This record gives sequence, C-alpha cells and structure tokens, in this order.
Amino acid sequence: MNTKTLGNLVINGIGSSNGGSFEKVELNGKGTVNGDTECVKFYCNGTGTIHGNVKTGKAKISGAAKINGAVKAEELIINGSASIAEAISSKVMEVSGKSSIGGSVKCDEMTVNGKVSIEGDCETEIFRAEGAFSVAGLLNAETIDIKLFGDSRAKEIGGRNIKVVQHKESLFKLIKSIFPLKLEAEVIEGDEIELEGTVASIVRGKNVKIGKNCEIGLVEYSGEYDCQPGTLVKESRKI
Amino acid sequence: MNEELISKKDVLELTGISYGQLYRWKRKNLIPEDWFVRKSTFTGQETFFPKEKILERIEKIQKMKDTLSLDELADMFSPSTANLRMKRADIMAKGIASEPVLNIFLEHQGDMNEFDFHHLMSLYILSALLESGDIHLEEGKMLLQLLNDHQKIVHQPNTVIYFIRKLGISSCLFSVKGEELYFEKGTKVVTTLSVGQSAEELKSKWM
Repeated sequence: MNTKTLGNLVINGIGSSNGGSFEKVELNGKGTVNGDTECVKFYCNGTGTIHGNVKTGKAKISGAAKINGAVKAEELIINGSASIAEAISSKVMEVSGKSSIGGSVKCDEMTVNGKVSIEGDCETEIFRAEGAFSVAGLLNAETIDIKLFGDSRAKEIGGRNIKVVQHKESLFKLIKSIFPLKLEAEVIEGDEIELEGTVASIVRGKNVKIGKNCEIGLVEYSGEYDCQPGTLVKESRKI
Repeated sequence: MNEELISKKDVLELTGISYGQLYRWKRKNLIPEDWFVRKSTFTGQETFFPKEKILERIEKIQKMKDTLSLDELADMFSPSTANLRMKRADIMAKGIASEPVLNIFLEHQGDMNEFDFHHLMSLYILSALLESGDIHLEEGKMLLQLLNDHQKIVHQPNTVIYFIRKLGISSCLFSVKGEELYFEKGTKVVTTLSVGQSAEELKSKWM
C-alpha cells in the first residue's frame, strides 16, 4: 500500500464522512464515519462514531468513541471511554479509561488500568490488570497478573502463571470493608497459581497457593499446595 | 454427535502436558475452538474433547514442535493454506502421488508444472482412493470432475467425500457440514474420506 497518496480525514466540530483509506483519521468534535476505515493512525478526541470496521496501525481513543464494528490495530490505547461492538485484535492494548467490547479480544500484551468488560473471550500472551474487568468467556493468557482494585470476574481463567493479589494500602481497607474487592471465576486452571481475594468453584494446577480472603470450592493440584489461614477451601485433592 | 469424549483432566494425564501448554496451543489456534465441549458434571462445569481427535492432535504437536514453530504448526492445521504450491518433481519425491496416478491426473486436468493447493488436494484425494483400491479409474475421473466443479470444498475441513454404488452404478457426493446421511437399503457406501484430514496429511508431507 502506498500511503503517500493517501489523505487525512480530520473532523473538527460536527461532521460526517464516509470511510475509506487514509493516512490519519482524527475526530476532534462530534464526528461520524460511515463505512469501513483503514488508516495508519487513528485518533478520537471528541465523540466519535464509526459505523464499520477499523483497521489501523496505531489507535488512540481519548474521548468517547463508539465503533459499531471490529477493530484491528497494532497498538490500541483507550484513555477515554470506548464501546466497540465486535472483536478486537491488536498487538498491544492498553485500557486506562473505560471500555466495553461486544466481541472477543486477541492481543499479545494487554494492560487494564481502568475498567473493561468483554462479552467474548480474551486471549493474550500477557494480561496485566490493576483495575476492574469482566470477561464473559475465557480469559486465556500465558501470564496473568491481577492486582485487585475493583470487582472483577471471568467465567474461566486459563494460563501458565496466574497471580492475583489484593491491594494493601490502608485507605483501601476502609473502602474494602464496604465493597470487598473480589475476583470471581467458575474455573481457574494453570501451572503456577497464586490467589488472593478470589471466589472460585474449581482451581486446578500444578503448584497452587491460596492466600487470604479466598473462597474456593475445590482445589486440585499435582505439585505443591499451600493454603493460608483465614481463607475457605472446601476441599483439596492431590492428583 | 456420538463421538467418545475425554475430559480435560484425563487429556493432561494421558499426554503429560500442562494447563499452560494446553491454553497456549488454544491461543495459537492449534486446537480448534469447537473441540472444547463444555458440559456440566457433579463437580461443576468441565471441558471435554473429542477423544480421538485431541489425542492425535497433541501427539502431532508434541512430535513436531521441536522442528516447527507454533505459528508454522498453526498454518499446518488450519485448513486454508492457499499459498501451498509444489513443483511436479516434488510430488513424487514427497510421496503425494505415484507416477501412474499423477499421469491420470494430468491426463484429465491438462499438463501442468506447478500445482496449487486445489490441484494438490485433488491429486492427494484421488491418489488415496485409487491406491486403496476402493474406486476404479472411471470413478476417479468422476471425482476429479466433481472437485473441479466445487473448488471451494477443499478449503472446508468438515467436508466428507462419499462414494456410493447401487446395482453396479457408482456415484460420488460431498457432504459439507458432515451432517448424517441416510441411504436407501440397496445402496452401498463404498468409502468415505474426510477432506480436513487429507489436508492435514498433505500438509505434513509438504512440511
């Protein structure tokens, strides 16, 4: 693709345009794009609505964006609020604001600092969360590193290293007593599992370490198992 | 679906792989999504797999993962390898078809030097069926004609090829979704062949 011949699509104020191929797409006011859009850089600073799929190199959403389609990007940064109706595939994905995704997410590296809700599955090599997330399907990652700040849930969690820690700061203790920070999952499966503040029906893994404030129905392990006092594990089995 | 199922736990125990590996292979599309059968059991929900398929697939992955990268493996297992091409000389060298079968194929399709994926699949299927002795030459030509008329089926792994005969008259048909077929009593199903499996075999020969 020869990008030199491509123009930019910039909407400052209220405007609408059809989709197409561009070098840069920038929506600063209230812009609407009707149709599939392909570009090298995608910025949405105001309220943007795209009726179609977006394929881009680098996407940055700082305002409120609504994309009624799928997103394919090399890098996707969401600082504002984004609602994406279909699947996302991106090498790097960072959510600092709020986003809701109607489809599945596939990335290499995903960082959640804000709030994410995913209606499908979430597949990534590295999953880092310091915010709240909800995955309606399977959260599948090589490394899962979760620091609990808000209520999070996933139907199933699978991977190699799964680590969930609760936040320790004193300010949070007060809030925590009113709103307990929990991660809920039906099944958690992995090789190395370390959990805190987790409610799960089944945890299966090689080495399992259950920390404080957990409620687990059944733990199955093949290697080492460690359970701290002050946590509830109904049954544990070595297989 | 009356395939025998196996639970995830038993798969891991039998094959010696870990949860991490299984989930990574799923991420890399080495294990197709529709093999994950979720069922509720008395311990809650569990995942099951079609036993034969999953054990065969894991064995293949374990055998080849030292020589091929996971992405290359994924290419091999994915049904659409449109860019697979092969020279005429390689076909016999890699054991895709023997010389007589190749000659029959070329006679029907016209002479060619480079074979694309569709040609290779047609040739491989023809070779498999002719060599097994299940079909004869004329039926082979019928198969090639049908494959030419419906070129896209070689990219659909669920397709099953059926050969039937009744009172000495033979026919050949494709069933795309692998739904059940029922035949009238006098009809004999001579042979069936899965396109997806043939594609995998073909690709493993090519690699």
